[in-house]
Amino acid sequence: MAHTFKGGVHPNYMKAPEIPVSVIAPPPVAVIPMIQHIGAPNKPLVAVGDYVTMGQKIGENPAPVSAPVHASVSGKVIAVEPRPHPLGDMILSVVIENDYQDTPCTDLQPLTEEQRRDPDAILERIREAGVVGMGGAMFPTAFKIRGGVGKVDKLIINGAECEPYLNGDHLTMLNYPEQLLKGIELVRIASCVDKAYYGIEKNKQDAIDLLNSLHPEQYGIEIVPEEVKYPQGAEKMQVKAVTGREVKPGGIPSGVGANVVSTRTCYAIYQACYEGKPVIERIVTVAGSALKAPVNGLTRVGTPFGYLAEQCGGFVKTPRKIVLGGPMMGICATSFDAPNIKGTSGVLFFTEEEDRHVDEPTCIRCGKCITVCPMNLEPVFMYMYYSKGDFENMEKYHVMDCFECGSCAFNCPARMPLTHAFKTAKLMFQAKAAKEKAKAEAEAAAKAAKEAS
Amino acid sequence: MAAKTEQKERIVLDVAYQPQVRTKTDTRRLMLDVIIALLPAVGVAVWQFGATPLLVIATSMASAVFFEWLYRKLLKKSNTIGDLSACITGLLLALTLPPTAPWWLPVVGTFFAIVVVKQLYGGIGKNFLNPALAGRAFLLASYALIMGQYAVPNSLKGAVDGVTMATPLSYLYTGEPMPAFLGFRSLFLGTVPGAAGELSALALLVGGLYLLLRKVISWRIPVSFIGSVALLTLIFGHSGYGRGEWMLYNVLSGGLMLGAIFMATDYATSPVTLKGQLLYGFGCGALTVLIRYFGGFPEGVSYAILIMNLCSWAIDKGFHRHQFGVSKEDIEAEKAAKKAAKEAAK
Repeated sequence: MAHTFKGGVHPNYMKAPEIPVSVIAPPPVAVIPMIQHIGAPNKPLVAVGDYVTMGQKIGENPAPVSAPVHASVSGKVIAVEPRPHPLGDMILSVVIENDYQDTPCTDLQPLTEEQRRDPDAILERIREAGVVGMGGAMFPTAFKIRGGVGKVDKLIINGAECEPYLNGDHLTMLNYPEQLLKGIELVRIASCVDKAYYGIEKNKQDAIDLLNSLHPEQYGIEIVPEEVKYPQGAEKMQVKAVTGREVKPGGIPSGVGANVVSTRTCYAIYQACYEGKPVIERIVTVAGSALKAPVNGLTRVGTPFGYLAEQCGGFVKTPRKIVLGGPMMGICATSFDAPNIKGTSGVLFFTEEEDRHVDEPTCIRCGKCITVCPMNLEPVFMYMYYSKGDFENMEKYHVMDCFECGSCAFNCPARMPLTHAFKTAKLMFQAKAAKEKAKAEAEAAAKAAKEAS
Repeated sequence: MAAKTEQKERIVLDVAYQPQVRTKTDTRRLMLDVIIALLPAVGVAVWQFGATPLLVIATSMASAVFFEWLYRKLLKKSNTIGDLSACITGLLLALTLPPTAPWWLPVVGTFFAIVVVKQLYGGIGKNFLNPALAGRAFLLASYALIMGQYAVPNSLKGAVDGVTMATPLSYLYTGEPMPAFLGFRSLFLGTVPGAAGELSALALLVGGLYLLLRKVISWRIPVSFIGSVALLTLIFGHSGYGRGEWMLYNVLSGGLMLGAIFMATDYATSPVTLKGQLLYGFGCGALTVLIRYFGGFPEGVSYAILIMNLCSWAIDKGFHRHQFGVSKEDIEAEKAAKKAAKEAAK
C-alpha cells in the first residue's frame, strides 16, 4: 500500500541536506518576542537592567493554551518594548544584550528515569520548556497532547518535510537519530499510546535506513515511508497517509483518534526531558537566490534576520522578500530587524528570480487547480465567487475547508492569486461572523435594557 | 556596520500570501505544447497536398493573431497575443478546412472566431464556444460549396479520376461500401481525402500522447468521446458493413480524432470537474453518432462539440464534489436529514 493522499504537487525541491549543520554565532542583541505560539501572550518576568542567564524563563502566562519563552543568550535586559515581529506588527519583546558568556540557567534539570515514564511529569516539562509545534504552526504541544489523551489511538510523528528548501528535520534525523527516537518515545508515553508511527517521505531514504537500523520497535515506533509529494506534511494528509482516516471538515485530527507531532518538536522534547534544555535554538535553513549558497544553521531564537543573513555570507543580490518557513506555505516578514522564533524552520531571501508574477492574470479554466487540491475543493469556482463577492456560493464551495497549502496557486499556469483569495475570503467570513455576533449581542442588550426600563 | 544597516533599511520588501513559488509551466507554455502536438498532423497535410495547406495555415494563424491584436488595440485593452491562444485558434481552424481552400477563407473564419466568439465575451478563458469550431461552422453555413470540395491526395492520384473526390465519411453517410483505396491503413496513415488536419489518425494520436505526457490535457474527454462513438456504432451497426468494420471506420474517419483530442479538450469551453469531463465526452460522442446517423451533413463532430460547449457550465454545476473528509455515510446522513426536514415541513 502506498502511503499517500489524493492530489498534491511536485515543486522543485531545492533541498541541500548534504550541507552540514553550521553554528550561527549568537547575535549581539537578541530580541525575544512574548508571542511565539498560538494562544495567550506571555507577560515578561524580567525588567530593564536585570541580568538573565541562557535558558532562563523570561515570559509566562498561566492560561492553558500558552507556552513560556526563555532567554536564548545570557546578558543584560536593555529593553522591554514592542519590536517588529516576524509575523508582522509590533509585539512586546524582551531585548537582551549578549555578554557572550552563555551562562547556563539551572532551573530545569534533566528528568529522572522514573519521571520519564510518568505522562504528567513529561507534559509538565514540555510546557515548562516552552515546546510548541515547531513545524511552523506553533501550537502549544503540552496542550495538544493532553487534549488527545484517551481520544487518540494513532500517534503520528511528522517527518515528511515536504516543503522545498527546508532540511532541518532531515538533518535532525541524520545527526541525532537515537535522541530523536527517545524524544518520540516520550511523546508516546505522554500520549498514553502503545505505538507511534513515524511518517517520512522517501526522499530521505538515508534517514529511514539509519532510523530503522536503530531498532525503533524497542521504543514503540514504526517508520512509515511515504510517497514524495507536497503537502504530505500537512496534518490531515499525514493522518490520511498513515491511517487511511479522513479528518472531518472543520475538525482536528484527534476527532478521528489521531495526533500529529513534528520531528523537530520531538527532538525539542528530548532536549527538555533528558538535558533540561528549553527551546532556545533550532536548525534554520537559510537559502534563496539573494544568498550565495544555502546554509543549514543552528540558530538561537531571537536572531534578527538582517544579522542572520550577514552570518550566512551576506547578499549577492538585493532581496525582494523574506520568506519564513518553506516557500509553499511560508509567509513574508516585513523587517530585517524581526527575529527568528521557535516556529521558524527556514528563512528564505528571495529575489525576482523566484517570483513568477504577472501583471494581469487571466484564468483559462484549465482545471489544474481541481486536480491538485488535496482537500477535493474546486478553486476555479471558489475564486470566481470570491471575485464576485458571492459569500453564499463561496460557502457552498467550501472555502472554509481550504487550509492554504498553496498547491492550486503553485500549479496555476495563469498565475491566479488563488490561495491569496481564499485566505482573504476566510478572514472576511470570520469578520462577518464576528460582526453578526456583535450585532446579535447589541440587540439582546438593547432588548434587556428596554425590558428593565 | 551602521552604514550597512542603513543600506538595508532602504530595501523595500515585498509581502505576499503563499505560495511564494510557482510552477514553470505557464499559459504560454501550455499553448505552445498544443501547437507542437499539432505538427505531425500538419506534416501529413503537406505530405499529401504539398505547400497549399501551409499557405492556408499561415494565413489563418496570421489573421487570427492580427484580429486579436487589432481588437484589443482599438478597445485599449492589454495585448494578449503573447499567450499564443490566437495562434492555436488560427491553426485549428485551418486544419478543419479543405487543404486546398482559397487563402481568404480562413481570414473570414478567424474574424468570426476571434472577434465575435472570443473577444466579445472577454477574451481567453471567457468564451463559451470553441472559437475555431464556431468559425468553421460559420464558414460551412456561408460557403458550403467550397467547404465540401476535397482534393485528391497525392497518394491517390492516378487511382482516382478528377480533381476532387468523396471523403470516407460521405461513403459512411450514404451507406455505400468503402472503396478499396480507403482502407483502415489509409485512414490510419492519412492517405485519404479530407480536411487538412483530420487525415491521419496516427499523427493525431501521437500529438495526443504528447499532450497527455506533458499533462496539458487529461485522458478523460478524449477517451470518453472516442470510446462512446466506438461503443454506440458497435451496438447500432449499419447494413452492408460488419459491426467491427463499421465501428472502426467511424472512429478513424472524419474529424473525430482531431475533435476529441484537440477541440473538445479546449479549456475554456469544457467542464473542469473530473466526472463532468467524462459526461461531457460521452455527450460529444453520442451527439456525433446521432448526427452521423440522422443529420443533414455527413460529419457531426463539430456540431456535437459546439452543443456540448453550451452544456459545460451546467455539467460543472451538477458535478460539484464533496470535500476531503466527507464519507459516504455522511452524504447519506445528510440526504436523510433533508428528506426528514421536508416531510416535517409537510
